Order: sequence, then C-alpha cells, then structure tokens
Amino acid sequence: MAMNYPILTILIFLPLAGALALVPFWRRERWAKGIAMGCAVVELALAGRLLFAAAGLPAASGAPGGYFLWEDHVWIERFGIRYTLGMDGISLLMVALTAFITLLAMLVSWRGIRERVPLHYLMLLVMESGIMGVFLAQDLFLFYLFWEVMLIPMFFLIGIWGHGRRIYSAVKFFIYTMAGSLLMLLAIIGIYLIHGARGGNYTFALHDLIGTPLDPGTALWLFAAFLFAFAIKVPVFPLHTWLPDAHTDAPTAGSVILAGLLLKTGAYGLIRFGYPLFPTAAKAVTPLLLTLAVIGIVYGSWVAYAQEDMKRLVAYSSVGHMGFVALGIAVWSPVALSGAVLQMVNHGITTGALFALVGMLDERTDTREISAYGGLWGKVPLLAFFFLLFSMASAGLPGLNNFVGEFLILAGAFRVTPVAVVIAFVGIVLPLIYTVRLVQQLLFVEERRPLTLPDLSLREGAILAVLALTAVYLGVHPAPLLGLLKVSVALLTGGLP
Amino acid sequence: MTVTELWTVMPLLIVACGSVLVLLIGAVAPGRHLTTVAVTTCLGAALWTVQFPPVAAAPQLGVALTSLARIFTVLFALAGAATLLLSRDFNERRGIRGEEYPATILFALFGMAVLAAATTLLTLFLGLEALTFAFYILVAMDTDSNRAAEAGLKYLLLGAISAAFLAFGIALIYAATGTLEIVPAMAGAARSVAGRPLALAGWGLILAGAAFKISLVPAHLWTPDVYQGGPPPVVAFLSTGSKGAAVLFLIALLQPAGLIPALHTPLWWLALLSMAVGNLAALRQQSIKRLLAYSSIAQMGYVALALLTGSREGYGAAAFYVVLYTAMNLSAFGAIASLSGKDDLETIEEYRGLGYARPFTAGVLALALFALAGIPPTAGFMGKFFIFAAALRGGEPLLAVLGILTAAVSVYFYLRVVVNLYLSPALAETTANRPTPAEIVPLAATSLVILVLGIYPAPLMAIIEAALN
Repeated sequence: MAMNYPILTILIFLPLAGALALVPFWRRERWAKGIAMGCAVVELALAGRLLFAAAGLPAASGAPGGYFLWEDHVWIERFGIRYTLGMDGISLLMVALTAFITLLAMLVSWRGIRERVPLHYLMLLVMESGIMGVFLAQDLFLFYLFWEVMLIPMFFLIGIWGHGRRIYSAVKFFIYTMAGSLLMLLAIIGIYLIHGARGGNYTFALHDLIGTPLDPGTALWLFAAFLFAFAIKVPVFPLHTWLPDAHTDAPTAGSVILAGLLLKTGAYGLIRFGYPLFPTAAKAVTPLLLTLAVIGIVYGSWVAYAQEDMKRLVAYSSVGHMGFVALGIAVWSPVALSGAVLQMVNHGITTGALFALVGMLDERTDTREISAYGGLWGKVPLLAFFFLLFSMASAGLPGLNNFVGEFLILAGAFRVTPVAVVIAFVGIVLPLIYTVRLVQQLLFVEERRPLTLPDLSLREGAILAVLALTAVYLGVHPAPLLGLLKVSVALLTGGLP
Repeated sequence: MTVTELWTVMPLLIVACGSVLVLLIGAVAPGRHLTTVAVTTCLGAALWTVQFPPVAAAPQLGVALTSLARIFTVLFALAGAATLLLSRDFNERRGIRGEEYPATILFALFGMAVLAAATTLLTLFLGLEALTFAFYILVAMDTDSNRAAEAGLKYLLLGAISAAFLAFGIALIYAATGTLEIVPAMAGAARSVAGRPLALAGWGLILAGAAFKISLVPAHLWTPDVYQGGPPPVVAFLSTGSKGAAVLFLIALLQPAGLIPALHTPLWWLALLSMAVGNLAALRQQSIKRLLAYSSIAQMGYVALALLTGSREGYGAAAFYVVLYTAMNLSAFGAIASLSGKDDLETIEEYRGLGYARPFTAGVLALALFALAGIPPTAGFMGKFFIFAAALRGGEPLLAVLGILTAAVSVYFYLRVVVNLYLSPALAETTANRPTPAEIVPLAATSLVILVLGIYPAPLMAIIEAALN
C-alpha cells in the first residue's frame, strides 16, 4: 500500500473539518448527525485500512526505528518547534481504538441526546481530533497542544449533557488535568532548554530529546512533572478522585470516551514520553509507581464493591483496571509492556461496552441504582446476555479479552516483583466478587420493582454484537495485535532492564 | 521641517488632523458618520505606517519611526478603530452623544503613537501623559453614571501621582546623565549607578510610575474600580492601548542597557505579587468587569516576568504578549459592551445561558476567556509559552514555576464565566443586547487574531524580534 498522501494529518484533521462542516446544519439535526457519523466512519475505515496494511509497511524514511508512517514539517522555526507526526505499532493500536470508540460513542448517544444535538456531535468530533493528535504527535510541543485541546470538548460534554452535579464534575475534571499539564509544560520547556544549551540544537523533537544527558536531580524533577500529569489521567491512586465524579456525571458518550480513550492518553504518555525521556529517573521512581499501581488495583476494586450506582461501580473498576496498566508500565519489560498496551485496548472495549449498557438501562428506566433492578435475565434476555458477557470480560474471564492483557502484565511482572504480583492477584479476584454481585443483583435476583423495559433495539444490538465479537476475538487470538506491538515494545524496553 | 521629518510624523499628523476634523464636522453635522471618519483616520494612519519605507527619524522632534514603533502604531491604530466601532451603537444605547467621544479616542491614539515613536525621554513622557489625559475624559464620559464619574476621579488622582513619579524620575535620570536621548540616558544611568545614587532613584521612580500605569500590585488599586465604572468600550481601549503603551514605554527604557541590578528584586516582587494577587483576587469576584480587571493585573504580571529576564527574547515575548493581549481584552470587553443594553451586564450570573441566546457574542467572549486562561490552540497559550520559555532561559525558574501555579488557579475563574455562558440553566429572559454589524466586525476580527496567532505565531514573532535588534 503506497502512502503518498499525508494520512496521519488526515486522521487528525478530518474530524475537525467535519466539525466545521456541521455548523451550517445547525438547525437540521439529522444532517448534522449524519455528517458527524460519516466522518467517524471514514476515520474508522482509514484506521482499519492501516491496521490491516501495517504489517506489510516498510519503515518510513527519516523516521526513528519502528515507525512506518512519518510526517515532518517546520512549524515555528524560531523555537525549534516542528509539526511531526509518526505512527508505530503502539500509536496504530491507539488510533484504531480512538476511531472505534468515537464511533461507538456517537452510536450510543444517537437517541439519548435530545438537546443541542449538533453541538454534541461537534464536541465529539473535536475530541476525536485532539485524541488522534495526542497519539500521533512526535514533537513535545505539538503533543502538549493536542493534550490540552482534548480537555475542552470533554469539559463541555460533561457540563452540558451530564447528569447530577455535572458542572462541579466538569470543572473538577478540567482543573485537575490542567494543573497536571501546566507543570508538564514547564518540564517540557526545561528539557528543551537543557538539550539546547548542551549542543546548541534547540528542539522539541521527541527523538532528538531522548538520550539527553541529565543530572539525576534535574531528571527526577522533570520526570516527576511528567508523571504527575500522566498519572492524573491514567489515573494512578491517589490522583484518581476526579474520575468517579466525571464518569458518573458524564453523558453516556462522555463516559465511553473518558474510560475508553482519555485514560489511555495518560498511560500512552508515560510509554511514549515519560519513560523514554527520563529512563534513569523512571527507574528510580519504579518502586513508588509499582506500589501505587498495586494500591490502585486493590483499592479500585474494593471501592467498586461498595457502589450502589452502576456507573460509579464501573468507574471505580476502571481505577482497578488501569492500575494493571500502570503496573505493566512500571515493570517496563517487553512482555509486561505489551500486556499494558493490549490491556489499554481491552479496557477501552469492555468498559466502553459496560458504560454503553448502563446508559441503555438508564435511558429505559431513568435510574442507575443497582437495587432498582432485578430479574432482567427473564425480561430482556438479549440485554442481559451482553451484560453478563461484558461483566465477565471485565472480570478477566479466560477466553475474553481482558484476561490476555492482565495475564501478560502479571507474567511479565512476576520476574521483577513477585510480591507486587501476589498482591495484584487479589486485584483479579476482587473484580470477580463485585461482578458476580452486580450480575446477580441485576439479572438473577427477583424483580424488586415492576419495570417495563423493552429489549435491545437493532441499533443497540448491532453495537453490542460488534463489541462482543471484538472482545471474543481479542481474547482468543491476540497474536496479530501483539505482532504489531513487538518491534516498538522491543525498541522501547531495549534501554532499560 | 524636512520631507523625511514630515514623512516620519505623518501617522501622528493623520491622527491629530483626524481628531480636529471630527470636532469640526461634529460642530456642523453631528451624527453617526463621525465614527466613520474617525475609523477611516485610524485605518489611514495604520496603512501609512505599514507602507512607509524603513529607517526614518526626525531627531529635531524627538521621534523616529523604527520597526518597533511601526508595529505598535499599527496595533494601537487598529485597536482604536475597533474601539470606535464597538462604541458607536453602544453609545447610542447609552445616550453618549457628541463629537468629543471619537475625537478623544483619536487623541488617546495620538498619545500612543507619539510614545511608540519617541526617541527622547521628554517625548516619551508627553506621549504617555497625552494618552492618559484622554482616558481621564473617556472614563467619565458617561455623564449619567455616578460610577463612571467616580471611576474618572479615581483614575485622575492616581494618574496625577504616577505622572509626578515619572516626571521626577526622568528629571533625576537627566540630572545623572545630562541627556534626554533615551539610549544614551538609559545606558548612562545603568553605568553611573555605582558612583551616583541619582540614576538609581530616577529608575526607581520611573518603575513605580510605570507600575501604576500597567497596574502591577501593589499599584493596582485603581484598576478594578475604573474597569467597573467606565463604559466597556472605553475600558476595552484603556486596558489594551494604554497598557500596551506603558509596556512599550518600559521596553524602550530597558532596551539600551537593561534594568539596574538593584531594581531586579523590586520588579521580581512586582511580577510575583501581580500574578498571585491578580489571579487569587479574581476568584472571588462576582462582577465580570472586576474579574477581568484582576485578570488584567495578573496578565501584566506575566509581562513583567518577561521584562525581568533582561534579554531580547524576554522583550520579544513581552511585545508579542501585548499584541495578543490587545486582541483578547478587546474581544472580552467588546463582547461585554455588545451584550450590554441600557445597563451593563454586571454580574457573572447575568450571563447565564447566553451561549445559546446570543451565540456569536458569547462565543467571542468564551474564546477570549479561554485565551486569557492560556489554553491552546488560542494565542494566549503561545504568548504564555514564549514568556515562560524566556523566563526559564533568562534564569528565573522560581518565578516561572510560581507564575505557572497562579496560572493554574486562574483557569478556575475564567471557566466560571464559561460555565455560566454554556452550562448553567439559562435565565428565563435576558436583557442582553443582540450584536449589531458594527460590533460584529471588530469582534470577529479580534477572534480571528486570537486563533491565527495561536496556530501560526511565527511570522509576527519574527517581525517583533527583527524590530528589537
């Protein structure tokens, strides 16, 4: 497949163009929806095409190892800022996930959003642009720009179409992430200046900055700033407190994107920027990150057990699952890192599906209290079946997707820190407990209140079926994805034990 | 007067003649067309300044149309044109009539242009005082409003004190160095400090006076009252043109030899206090104009941080920030002016739901607020980035970190307004005014500047850096 057009730029700016194209159709909701959906479909088609073609693509010329697509232009020469995009295996998986989850988010909000419909889809498209940019930027300045751009649409998504204390949650989300990223900005300028002062080459290019010799104290401070910004997004315990509020109060599409994509940007940032830029500092901090990851795993699952609100339960379960990802990154071995990236994809799919299901129930009955439901297995068998499937996937049932990622992470980590793995293993058991309780209360206990609710519509069924097939496929046959990751992960972990 | 001299002062002549012309026409045929005449004057001055060939000086008159002067003259002229357009319908709604309004705006612009082109301390001072004098009148122009009268009086009293500081400081520098030419005087002042405290006292007084003009804490106390009391279009011009001119004043004085080392610490504290007090005090404001007043105090703190570095990069960052700050504050106060009908929309609460009821104006306001908060892809982010990069490189890491922390705090109060515009339940009915064409044009232009400079700042940055060489 010849790539003689700037496909990465198209991936980033097509949704933005779509968002602008929506504006003339402000009063025609169906048109607006159609345009947005069209953009999302094209994005997914582009990403899918890359996914299938990637294995055969040669290394891009002028790019560092592992990158098969590369675009590089001068942007602000005075400061050595470049417009550099690159795609390796990790970026590709994240881009594909972004296209997939964004389309999913649009589909699940097809009926749920009734007010200011065009604005909602506009926000989703702008968000997609921002996230794509985060996953493709290879210049620290450019990355930071996209990193901030993601915030604004999510702020509006939660704040305008959310539930409950939506304004509080939206502002909390915004301030929290902003505080982290401003410190990261200082660290970015810091490493830029240190690198420039050494050789006179002032640049923000990631792959030039990697390997900058830093004295340990400075490196630790700079890494701390990066870690802080990324850990908030992941979220790593104890920086997770924005997450339950934001997830719970967000509209379904917002929750799906938050859990499916925004959390991944934090982990991705650590993998792409944090660890490669500051390997020694990262090594020094590893025990701390390991500890926090394990605490996150146990704590998230523990608190999830106590939740009465389904959405909050899924939100806290995310804290636990992302703890696994953090564990895989902290270990930084090829197996664990592959597991972490895979787990990012898996978590995006299962949690996205669970938020979609909760959203569907909420749309039908206007409540997310677990105790309001019961006996769904008999009443809405199709919905109940999918609920069971994704709950089991989320709990890590072998044969379904999450199991693979968690297994790889634990297998990779066992050699390095057996103790952490033993504790994290509790984190595999705890989800089983709260999942079984959730499923039992929702599906199998006798109905507590007479609820009239229809089963899945064709649209909902189709969404869930695609998600379920993906989950099963990734659970049974993850080899192609692991193959995509192999080179990048090997290159990344080469420098570290 | 030689032809070169005539060409050099042509922008000043255009503005001055325009001002007189407006007064004359107003005496014969008052009406809305006076705005058209005044706007044409501004644009004419800007156009002349842009197309004029390089290097031109009129040493006899104490002015020179340097590249930097040129950039800022154009900026001030465009800001003046935007202000005039924003004022036209606003003044009609408020019953502010008469030719004196556009004429005084032009007179303020004249002061700014003189200041931008000044090569001696005397013309510099005259320019600064001419524009301040015009603003004494403009702030109190709405004769029906007690608040405006109060604001005008406060501005006048404190302005007079600061003028005294500046004049005495300049006199001391003259006494210490024996010249009024900026470059030798300031270079001499920097050299002579060790022996004579006269120059140090002079610089110190100038800094104090300038701190008042750009409202650095603790010389900021007039700002919230004046911003709240003055008519929004006037405040738009006051907070951009007059502050930009004062920053330019400082850059002109700093450029020859930098800051006297002994004054580094005071300016360090001025910058820190402005960033901290401005951003923290804004958190508690209920009035949007007071909120923006404190925000502008903090914004000037960032500029002071850039000036503190004493490097050309720092001055460049400050000058760049002034340009985009002009766009941001014109947008913000312009939107407020456009939304205000008979009375100002005062409290933040009154803006609830306007994002949907008045999408254009509210969008402009929201964009300006995001830019002031420094969120990409707006110009505010680029400006802050240049400033903090210059500060880190110029050896001010501590102040840069503290500044970033206060900027993180500031996000909250800017967001509060956006929350009211878009997220809070809308008011049952709003008295907010619909934008008129004369208001849409400048607001769209400033918004465009905010976006374009945020995505592609390189050309402007290059022009400014070249001008500073």
